[in-house]
Amino acid sequence: MLKPEILQKFIAIVGRDRCKTSPEDLLTFGYDASIYEYVPDAVVFPKSTQEAAGIMKVASAHNVFVTPRGAGSGLGGEALAKHGGIVLCFSMMHRILEINTANRYAVVEPGVVISEFQKAVERVGLFYPPDPGSAAVATMGGSVAMNSGGMRGVKYGVTRDYLLGLEIVLPSGEVMMTGTVTAKDVTGYDLTRLICGSEGTLALVTRINVRLLPKPKTKRTLQAIYNSIDAAGDAVSRIIEEGIVPATLELMDGMIIQALEEFSHLGLPLDAAAILLIDVDGDTETVERQAALVADFCKAQGAREVRVSSSEKENEQLWFARRSAFGAVARMRPTCVIEDATVPVSFLTATIKKVIEICGRNRVQVAVLAHAGDGNLHPLMLCDQRDAEEMARVDKCMDEIVEFALSVGGTLTGEHGIGINKAKYLPQQLSQTSLKMMRAVKATFDPQGILNPGGFLEHCRS
Amino acid sequence: MIPFELSEQVYNCIKCGLCSNTCPVYAQLRFEGVSPRGKVQLIRKILEGKLAISENFARLLGTCLLCETCMVNCPSGVRLDRLMKAMRAEVVAKYSLPWQKRALYHLLSGPHMLPFAVFWGRMLEAPLRSLLPKDGKVGTIPCSRLPRLNSRPLLSQYPEIISPVGPRVGRVLYFVGCATNYMSENVGRAVISVLVKLGVEVIIPRGQVCCGFPICLAGARKPFLSNIRRNLEVFDPKDADAVVVDCATCGAALKKEYADVLEEMGEDAEAARELGRKVLDISQYISGFDLEKYLRPVPTRVTYHDPCHLLRTQGVKEEPRSLLKRIPNMEFVEMAGADVCCGGGGAFQMEHPDVASGITKNKIQAIMETRADIVATGCPGCRLQIHGNLGDESIQVVHPIEILATAMACNHCIDLSS
Repeated sequence: MLKPEILQKFIAIVGRDRCKTSPEDLLTFGYDASIYEYVPDAVVFPKSTQEAAGIMKVASAHNVFVTPRGAGSGLGGEALAKHGGIVLCFSMMHRILEINTANRYAVVEPGVVISEFQKAVERVGLFYPPDPGSAAVATMGGSVAMNSGGMRGVKYGVTRDYLLGLEIVLPSGEVMMTGTVTAKDVTGYDLTRLICGSEGTLALVTRINVRLLPKPKTKRTLQAIYNSIDAAGDAVSRIIEEGIVPATLELMDGMIIQALEEFSHLGLPLDAAAILLIDVDGDTETVERQAALVADFCKAQGAREVRVSSSEKENEQLWFARRSAFGAVARMRPTCVIEDATVPVSFLTATIKKVIEICGRNRVQVAVLAHAGDGNLHPLMLCDQRDAEEMARVDKCMDEIVEFALSVGGTLTGEHGIGINKAKYLPQQLSQTSLKMMRAVKATFDPQGILNPGGFLEHCRS
Repeated sequence: MIPFELSEQVYNCIKCGLCSNTCPVYAQLRFEGVSPRGKVQLIRKILEGKLAISENFARLLGTCLLCETCMVNCPSGVRLDRLMKAMRAEVVAKYSLPWQKRALYHLLSGPHMLPFAVFWGRMLEAPLRSLLPKDGKVGTIPCSRLPRLNSRPLLSQYPEIISPVGPRVGRVLYFVGCATNYMSENVGRAVISVLVKLGVEVIIPRGQVCCGFPICLAGARKPFLSNIRRNLEVFDPKDADAVVVDCATCGAALKKEYADVLEEMGEDAEAARELGRKVLDISQYISGFDLEKYLRPVPTRVTYHDPCHLLRTQGVKEEPRSLLKRIPNMEFVEMAGADVCCGGGGAFQMEHPDVASGITKNKIQAIMETRADIVATGCPGCRLQIHGNLGDESIQVVHPIEILATAMACNHCIDLSS
């Protein structure tokens, strides 16, 4: 519990309205998009760097735990107050401070919602590629903390590839800048990329400089429809091997197709075993050429049909549906646990097969979704978290999937992060030396251990 | 009590959060307790017995326009609208409504307004106005921009059966909502004169009462039931082509809400379902007619705002637009975010004026950007909210049927010259 006199100090910084302590407010900041729940002692909403710094000064002076949070759309409990203390929520600090067309960069506050930022830059002919499935809800700050990837990773990379610099607040309350706004910068250690993906355990991010690209002139979305998921998986590996670089290359299996069709009524083929959803973008001629190339290639690789979208509206509808996949499968069962194992793309088909085999053996219903071009699988395990026996089987599947992914040179998590649910696997992928170095980094930034306690490093004492 | 099937809905919320950023209220306040996801999770806690209904919970639950934007964006198909309304009924069961609302809903439930009918606006306008704060506001709306009352209720201006001009090609029952009956008589006159001109016999069943939707949305289910029963008695759709409504909210109530609420309360909903199948918004009903021979040019620029209860609850999007587009010389401009709630939300704008005015500001800006002379929308609440917040702008805010009546040179045209 937070002492009243400490709470008063937070209120003195942000005001009563932006320091919430009612049971309803605490409960609603106790969850994210995972199955975990930890109720904080207070929720504080800064609107400026000065306020955020002030909060950290009070917190460090009184050893109050602070857990930063954006929109609470994370999938592993990263933004939950696992050991109590305050949640520091950036949702009210949400201004786009600058979009610089001359130098193609932008400066934003952490609470800006990713899709809103994308729209804002696209209005002036620019393009911010990182595009997680949750872009319509997730914040820029959250995506920096988690180094979000998403659908355009195969061509454009992930959040860290677009960061030029950050303004951060250390747990002590000191404010500092990392990086710059220039395209190149090798001055000192690259702290920007250290903070990126640190899951809110090293510092608060209060300002973000991102690099932007010119907006591709046009885009075409293709649906390659397959009667077998293996054939779809093989096609993905071959597309990559062939040197074709689509903007997105998504795979969804029959169950996902069914759930999406039920939600969006787009006329998706309900009898298909898998669809590859492929975007090609660029100038008009390139897109025409690439679309034809990809379509022919998919057909040659066993696609039963390739549909090419005819309008921007149809593109949008398809991608809106795809973004809704996580929620849409909840029509089938109440709980959905997403796996995020990522493998070298040539192992994609083998991994999909293995996932289906593992889940079948453990009697867990699974729907397979993948940012296939990246080898980034998202098996969605459908269950009911009120059923402990079933959840134990889901855990067993997770263990086996992780083990397999690591055995073929993959990683625990491609983009969702470690958080609570994957922390126990950390020693399987990282050496003792590596963990030691990470702990040393954490101790340097946060010697008191007040920022996001219970974060991924602390779960894997080995 | 919330029925089991509805309460199970809370477990379909996977907490993805895709609803939050579509919620106009969340966009203003930006904390989880007001987001749709937050509300569903709080309802879950209450249903699980882990949280008690508190005044703070009631306040959060009330911080919702019931615009249903969350629901149409929910990939899991959670019936957020039903959950919220059912929970409002639970809140009312615990705290009961403030006396002002109780009094108003008592008046609107049943035939209690009848005695005032003869002298309605002529006698009540001045004394009611004197109760309003001078130079003040009701919620977000300056008193000077509140609508005037009809001199007499529309229901007492027309006979029960109005014969068509020329041979009869159709017959409809007309449900006259409170707004048309007591305030916007011109909308009712336009509905009747357009229908009559098209050869449709209009029957205005006597004894009809308020649709009851505002009562239901506040959570007062018992008085709502009495309105449902009364209207089901009065409206027998068997011999009519359709039951037409000119109000998005009345339409939503008659089409869906009656049956849904009866079902949730364990009552027989068949008659309500049957009525619901016959209900059409006026724009839907007249879309099928050959209007071209009647339409005269109306050289003006018009934009259209989607009422929540028409677009999302009833799924009516194209008909009002295409009616307007059929009028010669009328330039139709789509506003940005036409489907976004105007911020009115019935009593919402009075209870949360700060939130409402933030939402309405965006709507007004979108309207201004179209440089339209007229905003058309088929909901009296939206018209009140938009007109009330236009400040000194000379833009007219009307029902699409009023424009159509003018273009068809019916009686009771309005002046659309710009």
